[in-house]
Amino acid sequence: FLGAGGGNDIQWCFSQVKGAVDDDVAEADIISTVEFNHSGELLATGDKGGRVVIFQQEQENKTQSHSRGEYNVYSTFQSHEPEFDYLKSLEIEEKINKIRWLPQKNAAQFLLSTNDKTIKLWKISERDKRPEGYNLKEEDGRYRDPTTVTTLRVPVFRPMDLMVEASPRRIFANAHTYHINSISINSDYETYLSADDLRINLWHLEITDRSFNIVDIKPANMEELTEVITAAEFHPNSCSTFVYSSSKGTIRLCDMRASALCDRHSKLFEEPEDPSNRSFFSEIISSISDVKFSHSGRYMMTRDYLSVKIWDLNMENRPVETYQVHEYLRSKLCSLYENDCIFDKFECCWNGSDRQVEFLSLCTSDLSKLIVMTGSYNNFFRMFDRNTKRDITLEASRENNKPRTVLKPRKVCASGKRKKDEISVDSLDFNKKILHTAWHPKENIIAVATTNNLYIFQDKMN
Amino acid sequence: MLGKGGKRKFDEHEDGLEGKVVSPTDGPSKVSYTLQRQTIFNISLMKLYNHRPLTEPSLQKTVLINNMLRRIQEELKQEGSLRPMFVAASQPADPLSDNFREAQPAFSHLASPPLLPADFVSTMPLESCLTPASLLEDDTFCTSPAVQHDGPTKPPPPALQPVKDSFSSALDEIEELCPAPTSAEAVAAESAADDSKAQPSESNIHKPEGLPESRTAEPKLMDPLPGNFEITASTGFLTDLTLDDILFADIDTSMYDFDPCTSATGAASKMAPVSADELLKTLAPYSSQPVTPNQPFKMDLTELDHIMEVLVGS
Repeated sequence: FLGAGGGNDIQWCFSQVKGAVDDDVAEADIISTVEFNHSGELLATGDKGGRVVIFQQEQENKTQSHSRGEYNVYSTFQSHEPEFDYLKSLEIEEKINKIRWLPQKNAAQFLLSTNDKTIKLWKISERDKRPEGYNLKEEDGRYRDPTTVTTLRVPVFRPMDLMVEASPRRIFANAHTYHINSISINSDYETYLSADDLRINLWHLEITDRSFNIVDIKPANMEELTEVITAAEFHPNSCSTFVYSSSKGTIRLCDMRASALCDRHSKLFEEPEDPSNRSFFSEIISSISDVKFSHSGRYMMTRDYLSVKIWDLNMENRPVETYQVHEYLRSKLCSLYENDCIFDKFECCWNGSDRQVEFLSLCTSDLSKLIVMTGSYNNFFRMFDRNTKRDITLEASRENNKPRTVLKPRKVCASGKRKKDEISVDSLDFNKKILHTAWHPKENIIAVATTNNLYIFQDKMN
Repeated sequence: MLGKGGKRKFDEHEDGLEGKVVSPTDGPSKVSYTLQRQTIFNISLMKLYNHRPLTEPSLQKTVLINNMLRRIQEELKQEGSLRPMFVAASQPADPLSDNFREAQPAFSHLASPPLLPADFVSTMPLESCLTPASLLEDDTFCTSPAVQHDGPTKPPPPALQPVKDSFSSALDEIEELCPAPTSAEAVAAESAADDSKAQPSESNIHKPEGLPESRTAEPKLMDPLPGNFEITASTGFLTDLTLDDILFADIDTSMYDFDPCTSATGAASKMAPVSADELLKTLAPYSSQPVTPNQPFKMDLTELDHIMEVLVGS
């Protein structure tokens, strides 16, 4: 995996980078979410300014067999606007917290986008034909003098330059007192959940004026509040099952068939604390920032501040695998607490299914994903191969990347003598954080978001 | 945080606090453990109270910081420390929060009866028992204790609060009805705040005077930050209003207090013309009119200066 050239190892190459080049980052351009659609043809990003930008993959060029299609801008629209809550005299940020695609049912594409308070269903449709040959109108829209019409014709559709339109079809508002952190579409493709710090609501995609509360952890006395919901997701196959994670490092699996209000979990996943690693910051670093089911639904992955954990849904008392993302930060937790970095919410993702994975799955009858990816600081991101147990650190940077050059693995030197090409912990740039990454559902293409740039990497095709 | 992306270096002096966490039982390392704990405590306080966001602060962050403070306090309690820690939870009397509370009924329109669509998905057999999210919108909105500000640059001084169970539960009941702090508590807090104002940066240890007798003789550790989870707006909201009050109140009353002027300009009831004229007088040093209200003008200017300082300072 470390470029050793093994048969199955992926060699990642720089493909594209999107976004402003200069170092001065406009606040509105900060990328806040990245998501491939179900086919991988479309890649959506949301930013702090409330905008959604969708990139579309070019159809593969048969002559250029050594590279996959590039992603180009397909549609840009303003999803959310800043609002003002007059009661609390506070702004409601327009920042897009999450985007989730619906599976495609017809020619149009649909996605859900959410800020802290409101979820919107957007329809993205193409228009590449327009009617021409009206009898009463000129081509430019002016009305013709009826007396000049001597013959009649039937208007016909003629091709036009492709126009991509985005229109809001549903607005799901006023159901969250606290900040929405997750949305997840059910496998029935008719309902979805939205989760804020204390509650989870269930919606029907067609109905905007009501939603149902399925989890409520708000205590009667807010002074007793010690734990909040940090993420939630529906099971990929079982439409009555979902999980939610907490700021105390627990994951609860709930079954909606058990009761209307799923305050009592069916399963509780929690790893006992390692006493040798105990510190003031144990609770904070145990807070789970992301939870993702595997494709099969047999496993789930969680991300806390220092590690990625893979859980088997059948085993609640500990994860089956734990991967250290940046263990060298453990001795720096006090500083990271002071500068707020310890509250950074890193996401994680599984690799998509590809031929290798499917083959292996068939052999082992294990339908889990084999590689997981997550971000770190200094524009580093990490990948862990569950099969070989090897890991790699790569960097998203304009400097060192030429198209189709294999990325050089990076290494952080925790202490002691720094070897050549290594970076010492104290030199890491904590302003350059990779919080959002996404993996193409079918191919080895990954999208990695730095603060305001989107990098696309592909595996080297031989 | 997001400036030019320059590489960060860690301060040298922090090295003493980093590294392996020492357990409190190590002899000579106990000092550094205590020091680390104290530092973290101070950092946590500052995080909660120096943050003046335009948007609501993250509830998760607030909860985690609160838990940190509580844990440290528990530790100190268990260590049997005789010196109570100040916790920043000053609760000045807050008439504005009453207004705040009154505004809440505006959300009643959201509490519609749960109509269940007949064609709701078949995966929800218990739909009739589900609670519509709209019914949850009667949450108490933030009326947490606002921090008493000396000025924009000083960190707010911590204040003492009793930990007696009965008192806390009585507090809870009262807060249920009216989230504004009780007057007794506010008075106690204010007096405590006054006492501790002198040492805002000192980490601890004053037995506050002027506390009501209900507090136990043996100093106990305070319950920090009650109700501050809903801190969000109050802090910012009230601060803004306070400044606005100062601003407009002063200008208004000063403009209206022109007894000598009214005789010159006419009946005292003419407020608007008086303001405009007097503003011109303020601005025009060479006004031909007899500037009899010189004294009030001068006071206005200094007060305005003070207000500008406060505004600029914030």
